[in-house]
Amino acid sequence: MFLQNKFKDYKFFVFIFLLTFINFSCSNKNNSEKIILASSGKIESLDPARVNTIKSLQIINSLGDTLYEFSKDGQLIPKLALGMPSFSEDKLKIFINLREDVFFHDGTKFDSKAMKFTINRFQNIGTTNYILENKIKSIETPSKYRLVINLNKPSSSIEGLLTSQNLTPLSPEFYKDFNNKFLNDEFVGTGKYILKRFSNEVQILEPNINYWGAKPKNKGINIVGYSNSNSLYGALKSKQIDVLLSNSIDDSQRDKLRKLSDNLKIKEGRSSPNEISFISLRTNKKPFDNLNIRRAIAQSLNRKLISEKVSYGLRKPSKTIVPLIFKKDKKAFWPSYNTEEAKKILRDEGFCNGKILNLPLTYRSNVPTDKLIALSWQQDVNASMNDCLSIEINGLESTTIYKNLSEGIYSAVILDWIGAYSDPEAYLKPLLSCKEFKGSNCLQGESVFSGSFWASQEIENLFKESESVYGIERLNKLIKIEKIASESIPYIPLWISSQKAWSQKYISKPIFNGAGQIIMSELKNIDE
Amino acid sequence: MNRNLNKTIRYSLIKIGLIPISLWIISSLVFLLLRVAPGDPVDAILGSGATLEARETLRANLGLNESILSQYYTFLKNLSQFNFGDSLSNQEPVIEIICKALPASLELGFFSFVLAIIIGFPLGYLGLKNKEKSLDGISRIIGISSYAIPPFWGAMMAQLLFSVVFRIFPIGGRFPIFDEQPSITGFIILDSLLKNNLSALTGSLYHIALPSLTLGFLLSGVFSRSFRINLEKSLQSDYVDAAVCRGVNDRNILYKYALPNALIPILTISGVTLASLAGGALLIELTFSWPGIALRLQQAIFQRDYNLVQGIVIVTSFLIVSLNLIIDILIALFDPRIKY
Repeated sequence: MFLQNKFKDYKFFVFIFLLTFINFSCSNKNNSEKIILASSGKIESLDPARVNTIKSLQIINSLGDTLYEFSKDGQLIPKLALGMPSFSEDKLKIFINLREDVFFHDGTKFDSKAMKFTINRFQNIGTTNYILENKIKSIETPSKYRLVINLNKPSSSIEGLLTSQNLTPLSPEFYKDFNNKFLNDEFVGTGKYILKRFSNEVQILEPNINYWGAKPKNKGINIVGYSNSNSLYGALKSKQIDVLLSNSIDDSQRDKLRKLSDNLKIKEGRSSPNEISFISLRTNKKPFDNLNIRRAIAQSLNRKLISEKVSYGLRKPSKTIVPLIFKKDKKAFWPSYNTEEAKKILRDEGFCNGKILNLPLTYRSNVPTDKLIALSWQQDVNASMNDCLSIEINGLESTTIYKNLSEGIYSAVILDWIGAYSDPEAYLKPLLSCKEFKGSNCLQGESVFSGSFWASQEIENLFKESESVYGIERLNKLIKIEKIASESIPYIPLWISSQKAWSQKYISKPIFNGAGQIIMSELKNIDE
Repeated sequence: MNRNLNKTIRYSLIKIGLIPISLWIISSLVFLLLRVAPGDPVDAILGSGATLEARETLRANLGLNESILSQYYTFLKNLSQFNFGDSLSNQEPVIEIICKALPASLELGFFSFVLAIIIGFPLGYLGLKNKEKSLDGISRIIGISSYAIPPFWGAMMAQLLFSVVFRIFPIGGRFPIFDEQPSITGFIILDSLLKNNLSALTGSLYHIALPSLTLGFLLSGVFSRSFRINLEKSLQSDYVDAAVCRGVNDRNILYKYALPNALIPILTISGVTLASLAGGALLIELTFSWPGIALRLQQAIFQRDYNLVQGIVIVTSFLIVSLNLIIDILIALFDPRIKY
């Protein structure tokens, strides 16, 4: 009897407990007019000199401005600069006039000294300062709003570099004690938003009422990081967030989000495709040092099938390593899928009829898509070329793969890449450039770190030439580099992806700039 | 009695003296395993597109170009001064990162443990009270399934049901993002109470509810099963029979005779449960985006942030070893059969 009474009390307390939480969950919705934007992972730092993750760069893009930026159609447009840069006759000096009506969030004025401070700081302590490649010799500030960048050698890619978020100007006054070290949890720039609060998981952005340009269309953005794909998807579905910005959510969930978008339940926005996925082939190892073998492997890759099976057709099959937005003629050069031709090549090279070429393919085990790519390719080859080619797959954690790439451990490995700035060079150089080489074997340079070990004198010459020419002439040289690479096949492009964001029905459709970053200031609440 | 107490104190002092040795062995193993494991913090920080010069410069800045022995010497020297160094990935002192993340995990661990007891004991008791009846069956099924369910699956299902379908609880995080988080000790619930901030208190309770209920439920099976078995054993013992013969009432038999004796083995199990709490917390923290030490450790491992991994492992080991020591002492104090 005594125990039965106790049990009744227990049930009563459980009932009260649940009632409290149901009540709280119903009342505890986002009552603020700020937009909640969720993304994957946490943010370690908001120091432009240190960041290299997409999410951090996205936020810096909203908190700061760069000298130039790329429009949606890939055109360079001035932002904090007053006009397009001009060059000296020897192309060793760049002259940039700056806007005079810009203030930092701490109230100090933006000027040429602030820009010089920022660039010098990035040169000194920037984690990714290698992207400057020692191009900048010195910076002069002849007047308050005129900047002169002295180059060590002519560089046509410098314009693209000036769009890099890593060079977002910072207030010299605020950062005076952080000239030689990072300031991770604060940010004082010139952007449309002011950083109100920062933690690794949550960042609160409020509109900058003194912004020199068009003001944000919302009353602020609360950015929250979730650690996994299911949480992100569930948060959007249960309307706990307003906008989901992530390229790291599973493809099956991306497909579901697309269907929701097709049914007008949510809105989907996407950037121009800027993330390439490819297979890197180690070209200095037998039998993959043989161009014909590499060609046969490239022709065995059924991009369309893999795109449909793995990404539900969401990632566009691609035969180029440079996003098409940068290429006026939109030409793709890499070999197409053709198993008959591949078999013929392999037969000519002494394979087939009992002698099967084995391709060890390594994938990043912590990237779910990679495993599916490897399995789909393996199965397709088994079905169509089993008498000539077999693929042996092996998964390893990405950090291990990156470490071992330059050691030449992997014959073929699935990788992806987003250029550090919006320029074809930012895609070509990290994959094809080589500092020291013997024949077509790269001994030291970027292609070693990309695992291909492939080099070409002609490509190095073209890279050099492209630095001193501008506009369409430069573009043609860069396209020629890609064409040469496509004929030697050190890499096999697989597909190209866009950055995507999804918003609730009551929020405007997310839009992206030319660098593939969401424009947070354009997000606004609208009537359903 | 005094003699036994003295022996217990001597035993405890020996155990306390062994803690630094245990920590040295653990930290040395972690140090060595991290260096032997493939992967490089430089790659994790710079990405795969960095130049050789950039890599070498960063490697030198981080002190990774020194010999393993030299690195180990520096590590031990710093450790002897309770200095875990700076995080390789963000240059923040490791101790600061731990101090930020640890309260979140301890808070979650504490609530989960309490909930595991709140769920487990009544469940075990109900089973025993209704032996061989349907309630007993239900109690057994719940008890067994709670530790048979893989934590990641259980957490995902809980999140799907209560956050996405029924929308009762938040999907993740530790605090409402549109509220100002009180910060005194790092324990948000405690800080909310200290600041008399009711909104922060309800917000933090609302966020901790689902992760702690999930982890608590997953751990409750151990308590329900062991409580049932030990209580049954106690109730069947001679001293209970003797008490019944003396006319002691049911309530006193339960609370004064059977329960204290049934709880002693459970105290032992608590030590093991605390260790599994640390393991289970990783999956719970990952699923519910709980910004705790386990989630931080996982990220540090991916980034090959040697200093941070070492720091977290040492602090966590210290906590587990210390808690086990406390439990050992408690057992020695409460169980007269235990002699040292």
